[in-house]
Amino acid sequence: MNARLTRTSWIARITFLEAIRQRFFAFLLVLSAVMVVSSVSLRFMDFGHSELKFVADFAFGGMFLFGSVLALVMTAQLFFAEIENRTALTLLAKPLSRTEFLLGKFLGTWAVLGVFVFSIAFLQGVILWSRTQELIVLAAETGRVAPDFSVSGLASFAVLQWLRLGVVAAMVLMVSAVARTFLFTVIVGAMAIVAGQLQWLAQEALLKPSDASVVTKSLLWISSRVIPNLQQFNIGDTLVLDPTAISGAAVWSVVLSGLFYLVAFLALASLAFRRREI
Amino acid sequence: MSTSSAISVQGLTKDFRVGLRGIKLRAVDNLSLEIPRGQVFGLLGPNGCGKSTTLKIVLGLIPATSGSISILGSPSATSEARQRTGFLPEAPYFHKFLTGRELVQYCARLSGVPAEKVNEAVEASLELAAMTEAASRPIGTYSKGMLQRIGLAQAIVHDPELVILDEPTAGVDPVGSAAIGRMINAMRAKGKTIVLCSHLLGQVEQVCDRVAIMDRGRLVLEGRVDEVLAQRDRHVITVADLTPQARQAAEAALAAHGATVTSITHPRRSLEDLFRELVTGSRDA
Repeated sequence: MNARLTRTSWIARITFLEAIRQRFFAFLLVLSAVMVVSSVSLRFMDFGHSELKFVADFAFGGMFLFGSVLALVMTAQLFFAEIENRTALTLLAKPLSRTEFLLGKFLGTWAVLGVFVFSIAFLQGVILWSRTQELIVLAAETGRVAPDFSVSGLASFAVLQWLRLGVVAAMVLMVSAVARTFLFTVIVGAMAIVAGQLQWLAQEALLKPSDASVVTKSLLWISSRVIPNLQQFNIGDTLVLDPTAISGAAVWSVVLSGLFYLVAFLALASLAFRRREI
Repeated sequence: MSTSSAISVQGLTKDFRVGLRGIKLRAVDNLSLEIPRGQVFGLLGPNGCGKSTTLKIVLGLIPATSGSISILGSPSATSEARQRTGFLPEAPYFHKFLTGRELVQYCARLSGVPAEKVNEAVEASLELAAMTEAASRPIGTYSKGMLQRIGLAQAIVHDPELVILDEPTAGVDPVGSAAIGRMINAMRAKGKTIVLCSHLLGQVEQVCDRVAIMDRGRLVLEGRVDEVLAQRDRHVITVADLTPQARQAAEAALAAHGATVTSITHPRRSLEDLFRELVTGSRDA
């Protein structure tokens, strides 16, 4: 294996081991699992939507919320632990470039986020399948159309969520590379996630014909390019319950957009980290 | 830049910007230093004198404001230079969930040891650091002395030509310190160059061939240990069974030749030697 790849994979491996042993990870995983399981008991609060849609949305919400918290806190914590405990001194004195170090930290964290997303998605699949079986029997008895859900749609959604959390982790890593404290990173990272969730507002405002000033339009344009649109990943209910309603091209455009921001944030993080004094 | 030097530092200056106004703080001031190959070199000085900053610049962890550094003939901070260098930081901290052996394996792979040679290299470095028995235990259970020794094992696992040790005996008891001293001597016997930063002057005196003393970022003295410590205008004669009559006769004979006896005392051994002699059974493992 290429030496650079070997070094990066070892950093990722140790980062993954460190993260997976943390109670914080286990706590959020259990909390999300409880949320997914409890969605069946809380389905009477479906606000008029179909039961499967409520169950799916409830689980997607848990995956989104706890996944974001995990990506934000764990990325910052795993990075600053190396700096504050001075393990980075030992590692970076070896023939290991800072880009390899940063990339290894990212890949290790992203792997943990993958464990989180795919575990929750699997549990959600089991819940949806078991409830669907009950609803099929009920539909046969009442003569109604039986509901269904797409397993491949759920898998696609899990991949999209994993990519979204990867974008968040890369964004947090970029902040970490310039920040001096863990707290600053978490606060700025949280603000960046909120900005990403609201980015579509800037896009909409830019597309609408208006008499806004050039400065406002420029700011909107910059916001809509610099900040990733994190809302575009939230197409879970369509993918899972009505996969024909969304084209493959639309899904691929989300994937490519996510990959673009992920690579761009990592490149910026690497540039910033190169100049940092350890 | 000398190719026969393990480390060559030329006109090194490092300024830190402090506070919002960016006030300049000079940590290292125009330092020039040649560290020869195959020797144990002690870098001494009070806290804040610029030793650690110098080492960090040598290792490429922070950039220099001006000046140049080469390691074994290559510019420092390059992958090639680091490949040939091992580093033990002050008060090392490692991932507690790894065992000692896993840590050394991890560092071996990061240092470019080929997969097929890792086990052999790991066992050899663990043996040199006297950590073979404890290598399967998690690092979280290690004592301070064991942490230093496993740190030493990770620093030498890739068989570097240059080993930089920053306070390797800080917080370690005299028996552990002596063990680390023996490891340094073993590495010297293998032809390695060792740069040792330490506050334990007694140990530095025992193990180092050359020393440099820094103060306020500047080099104030550099040379062979025996040369810098010798008082050329003073002499020591050790005499057994010195009676008062013999002493008077010796003083008279010396005075006849214009020499003056300034003091007559009993030779002393160091407290460290006495401690090690008495605490023979103590083992830090």
